[in-house]
Amino acid sequence: MAAGGTGGRTYSFKVVLLGEGCVGKTSLVLRYCENKFNDKHITTLQASFLTKKLNITGKRVNLAIWDTAGQERFHALGPIYYRDSNGAVLVYDITDEDSFQKVKNWVKELRKMLGNEICLCIVGNKIDLDKDRHVSVEEAESYAESVGAKHYHSSAKLNKGIEELFLDLCKRMMETAQAEERLKGNGASQSASSRRGVQIVDDEPQATPAGGCCSSG
Amino acid sequence: MSQRTERRGGIHVDQSDLLCKKGCGYYGNAGWLGLCSKCWREDYQRVRQKQIQDDWALAEKLQREEEAAYASSHGAQTQSQSTAPQPHPGHASLGPFSKFEEKKTNEKTRKVTTVKKFFSPSSRTAPKKETPEGKTPSPSVSRRASFDTDQVTKDFADFLKNLHKPGREIQKQCRAFIVNMSGKKDLGADELSECVQDFYQNLADRLMGHFKGSSESVEQVMDQVEKYIMTRLYKSVFCPETTDDEKKDLATQNRIRALHWVTIEMLCVSMDEEIPEVSENVVKAITDVIEMDSKRVPRDKLGCITHCSKQIFSAIRTTKNEPASADDFLPALIYIVLKANPPRLQSNILYITRFCNPSRLMTGEDGYYFTNLCCAAAFIEKLDAQSLNLSPEEFERYMSGQASPRCNSSEGDWTRAEPPPAPVNPVLAQLNHNLEVLSGLSSRQETLMEAAQSLQADLLSWPGSVQREVDDVLAKYPLEVPSRTVSAIDDNDVDNDNLPPPLTPQVFAG
Ligand SMILES: Nc1nc2c(ncn2[C@@H]2O[C@H](COP(=O)(O)OP(=O)(O)OP(=O)(O)O)[C@@H](O)[C@H]2O)c(=O)[nH]1
Ligand SMILES: [Mg+2]
Ligand SMILES: [Zn+2]
Repeated sequence: MAAGGTGGRTYSFKVVLLGEGCVGKTSLVLRYCENKFNDKHITTLQASFLTKKLNITGKRVNLAIWDTAGQERFHALGPIYYRDSNGAVLVYDITDEDSFQKVKNWVKELRKMLGNEICLCIVGNKIDLDKDRHVSVEEAESYAESVGAKHYHSSAKLNKGIEELFLDLCKRMMETAQAEERLKGNGASQSASSRRGVQIVDDEPQATPAGGCCSSG
Repeated sequence: MSQRTERRGGIHVDQSDLLCKKGCGYYGNAGWLGLCSKCWREDYQRVRQKQIQDDWALAEKLQREEEAAYASSHGAQTQSQSTAPQPHPGHASLGPFSKFEEKKTNEKTRKVTTVKKFFSPSSRTAPKKETPEGKTPSPSVSRRASFDTDQVTKDFADFLKNLHKPGREIQKQCRAFIVNMSGKKDLGADELSECVQDFYQNLADRLMGHFKGSSESVEQVMDQVEKYIMTRLYKSVFCPETTDDEKKDLATQNRIRALHWVTIEMLCVSMDEEIPEVSENVVKAITDVIEMDSKRVPRDKLGCITHCSKQIFSAIRTTKNEPASADDFLPALIYIVLKANPPRLQSNILYITRFCNPSRLMTGEDGYYFTNLCCAAAFIEKLDAQSLNLSPEEFERYMSGQASPRCNSSEGDWTRAEPPPAPVNPVLAQLNHNLEVLSGLSSRQETLMEAAQSLQADLLSWPGSVQREVDDVLAKYPLEVPSRTVSAIDDNDVDNDNLPPPLTPQVFAG
């Protein structure tokens, strides 16, 4: 499944945003990709699919962020959304205990369905409302650690912690992709060929003796 | 007249139009020329089998021609003109292809009629399809069909020409692949998909070497490869007979029909169709998603979904005045799918999943919209009372047709042809106007018919009534021949004798 870039120069990653309604998922991505918050005059047509191009230590990364419908009646559709994703950003609202519970449920489901292939981020949003905090920092952080996820604190309103969390996530996804590539053997050209007799034909004698594609240079 | 009774529900489809033309009682499908799947199979399996064989023979033939074209286009530019495939004499023998294309053309016609069904007061006004028997493909149709495929082949050759050496390599690989696939007609859909996906993967990996890791260039080439290969393979791998895709299509189609009563409010869609731009967006979105079925290349199908989604985003943005999030988008898409009932929805979804270039599906924007379409289809399949915030009883009553929510909440329902409170959208206003004119015409025609009929009745009864009058008169004044009492002038009459003698001329002196 190499959704992460093969070839090693440009990586393409799919990241799904999960979390209860009103925790600030949409606000987070809009802040991250367009640096906008709750501005009624924004020109953005939609905030459900956004992309960001990054350059991390000389490697290009195309990040595609998929918003998901958070309403309960759409819960069953989760697997359709998150299949083949490289990362998940699980958002809760620090003033809302229930939303943290929801995150725990998502983590369970994702680990069950996708195993450790997916990089998980747990994000406590709205830290500008710290006086109303209902989820303790220690509890959240130790939970995240226990499930192999990273924990971040953010505020879409104040633009805090957002760049960091996505940058971090990208780095982790790159590591995962590189590890996968190494497993496959260097160079992806060997991958999965000639199952079922479909193969890339190598030079057969032909009118013009053109070199094989890899012999150039 | 029928216009009268069917006018209220703009979306109403006459049941008899939906039934299999063979009269077996099952539903027919326009894609099968009005037959049900069983009758269609019986009638056409044999023919189709032969078609498939002929098609493969043809594909190989085209392959050789194309090689020649490729070689000559590399050699002399002028020569390539002579091998240009358009009015090729060899295409007189393109029977099977054109038949296939004909089915496709019918699908296009169906697309139009489906859209019409939304607006026409009676589905009976939709053009009737010809029966398949005794239908000879018109030369123009077959020419266009082969032209399409040839055009794709030619475009591909032209595209590869600019790539120089990698172009030759790609051309060779694709050719070998298509020939290879022609020997695998009997494989199941998953295996076919795997073959194609393996091919994409291997070729993309190879190209990575050529383009020194520039994934943009590789993507660009892979798009062309997909277009070429899938145009060639489409007819044998779209809704293949080894699968029950077709059955799923019918199930979905019927399911959506059964859900005709679902309103925009139940789905909590944030699109206000009272706003002219929004209702325009909605109509366009419906058209786009229906159009998907008429495309052959997975990426073109994706393009239709993306267009549809963009219309939805505009509609939401106009309504809410803020960018649409997934929570706005998905319900709206579900609503559009319910309204459109896109032809062969499951087949199209499966075809895209199986044969689309994976990088598009997994991370691209098109992939996001496609995923949402998959979600919409899954939601519709599983939809129950809870998903619409209804009580199970209500849901049952709506499903069984015992009650209709439309009667209570007609406001904002654009499918209704009743005069709206205020003309909202020029298109809708025009539509309403047309509907009024049509119903006016129809009532005038009715009056005319009535008048004509009474005239006919009058004419029929006229001789009778005349007869009766004559009889009456005759009865009243029976014919009696009186004795001859009247004297004739020229009789030698005795009375003459009583007359004075005739005057005699007199001469006067003077
Ligand atoms: N104070 C504060 N408010 C926030 C923050 N982030 C989001 N909000 C507010 O929270 C509300 C919900 O934000 P959204 O971004 O729409 O939340 P969502 O998770 O996308 O919600 P759904 O789309 O319904 O699932 C809005 O009123 C935002 O203004 C934050 O960091 N601080
Ligand atoms: Mg949102
Ligand atoms: Zn039948």
